[in-house]
Amino acid sequence: MDFAWSAENDAFRTKVCDFLDSELPADWQSIARHGPGSREQTEFSLTFCPKLADAGLLVPHWPEKWGGADRPTWEHFILGEEMWAAGEPRGGQYMNVNWIGPVLMRYGSEEQQARYLPPMASGRAIWCQGFSEPGAGSDLAALRTRALRDGDDYVINGQKIWTSYAGMAETCFLLARTGEGREGIAVFLVPMDTPGIEVRAIPSLIGHGDIHEVFFTDVRVPTSCRLGQEGEGWNIISYALSNERVGIPRYEMSSRELDAMVAELKARESFGNAIVRSKAAEAAMACESARMLVYRVVDERARGEPPGTAANLARVAVVEADHKVTDFGMDFLPDCFSGDGHPAFQAHHERAIVTGIAAGAAEIQLNLVARRHLNLPKGA
Amino acid sequence: MRLAFNEDQATFATVLAQMLSDDTEAGFRTVDGWGRFDYGHALDARLEEAGFFDAAREDDLGAVAAAAMVHEVAKAPVVIECAATALLRPFLGQELPRPLAVRVDDAPGAIRFLPQARSLLSITDAGIRWAQIEGRGAPVESLYAYPMGMLDDAPDWQPLDVDPNAVRTLWQVALAAELGGALAGGLASVLEHVRERAQFGRPLGSFQGIQHRLAEDAVWIEGAQLLTLRAADSRDPADAALALGHLQSHATRIGYDLHQFMGAMGLTLEHPLHRWTYRARALRAEMGGAPQALLDYADARWDKR
Repeated sequence: MDFAWSAENDAFRTKVCDFLDSELPADWQSIARHGPGSREQTEFSLTFCPKLADAGLLVPHWPEKWGGADRPTWEHFILGEEMWAAGEPRGGQYMNVNWIGPVLMRYGSEEQQARYLPPMASGRAIWCQGFSEPGAGSDLAALRTRALRDGDDYVINGQKIWTSYAGMAETCFLLARTGEGREGIAVFLVPMDTPGIEVRAIPSLIGHGDIHEVFFTDVRVPTSCRLGQEGEGWNIISYALSNERVGIPRYEMSSRELDAMVAELKARESFGNAIVRSKAAEAAMACESARMLVYRVVDERARGEPPGTAANLARVAVVEADHKVTDFGMDFLPDCFSGDGHPAFQAHHERAIVTGIAAGAAEIQLNLVARRHLNLPKGA
Repeated sequence: MRLAFNEDQATFATVLAQMLSDDTEAGFRTVDGWGRFDYGHALDARLEEAGFFDAAREDDLGAVAAAAMVHEVAKAPVVIECAATALLRPFLGQELPRPLAVRVDDAPGAIRFLPQARSLLSITDAGIRWAQIEGRGAPVESLYAYPMGMLDDAPDWQPLDVDPNAVRTLWQVALAAELGGALAGGLASVLEHVRERAQFGRPLGSFQGIQHRLAEDAVWIEGAQLLTLRAADSRDPADAALALGHLQSHATRIGYDLHQFMGAMGLTLEHPLHRWTYRARALRAEMGGAPQALLDYADARWDKR
């Protein structure tokens, strides 16, 4: 075991930090405060990500064939830590890097790969994920949006909800039903300008324009939009989520926000209080435990092991860490969460309340830990 | 960054696991007079004979392998003095006779392993001392599932030329490894129970209310195990306080869950659950418990002012 970063890892982190120092504008915090799913941050990503790509820092872990450099898995996570800690200037494009691109490489046709991967690798592609529906949140397999085969086309009808990035996305990674049960789910790559698609922003607690409803009314797409085979959708999404569950290094941002909170308390001469210091330490411990559990997943991946249950445990820990840090801030720096207050703390709070819900609720992760990791019997 | 054991550590762990599973005396058996603990003399002797307690001295094994061993040994229903021998003795610059008992900051009261101990180690900010006591510690009746003892008279202290802070850090790592192992042993026992025990026509472990709490317990225990191994690797004071504090903070809730889900069976001395949970209760309070570990960590990460 070796818990230290290599010199090569350190050099890569320095390169990423130097890039952020030079490319993030002075008013970046006023953009970042709107959240990664906001129009402001999405627009910013369209100028930032191409520069990141030019510097070889957008998809370094991708194969050279698709614009990457075959860099090690750990570098991808170092990149993610620094980007997320900076407020995620890649906006929704982090999804392309983390899982949509890799899923297309694994399951996509040559035509789909040629069409979609180069724009992702150059930092100019905005996608949204059409997963949740009004009747299918945690129980994703209950989705009802239907794709009916009609000659060489599919006709899609249904509704998606709580969809991030839909307001500006060019393409939707859509789950729709072609049959019954989990075997009746397929994935479609749907251009968002296809006639019959209507997007409506939903006012929310988590940032300006972050989540949407997306309505599909007689949306006609060619069969070439289907990813993989009919019935393969559940396997594809399971593969995608195994990448995504630890795809966002939230513990890193939480840990740095905690440091900023402590700095603020010190400036107010309030950090000498033992209760405050203990609570700060509790939050830090949660962050570090989450970090170690995420690193275990990364380490398994770096060694080529198949996805196991480690990601489910990590995700539970990440949720606890995010909440402990935001609770610490709201307990001891309540004024920072009103008015102009402290934009970064407010943004962290907004991200924290999403953490336990997006990409599989924390309680679903606990179900999976119980059944798959602890081998407890399935409930009635 | 590599979170898997190296080849030597993996072999060490495999042989240790085999030894623990082969040793029938490492399993649970009741003790005459319903004693609260069962000292594993046979296991202790086998580990010593095979040189396991010296793992930390080997470059390819190191303190990481020693901490992993303490964790695994603490999962057994029997108890042996392993933590101080494996994680302190190799770094004291002198070959102290084992078993070792350890007292920190002259804390009053009974000391774990004192009745068996041949050496007593004292850790204070003023320095590290030791005394050869050769079993002079008088046994004390105790709730805790450890042999506990009190000194009859003042020992003949000898100074050790070693950094007190470094020893304090190692002892935090050792305690974290032992506490994590005790909680993991208890969890494994409860998991086995709730898989089999049926109430209301279905296994207890199929109820989501039970599943979620045990799953959370597993997340805390496994996260803490990694933090402990990191602290063993770095021997950094902040890492060590973090690992111990994390476990001590969660030990109360985990112990509560373990007893709740074992139900009345866990209240009997015919079942081993108390062997783990009452060791955890003792370790939860060592070195000032979670409140002190949290402050130690806060001071190491952020100075007070």
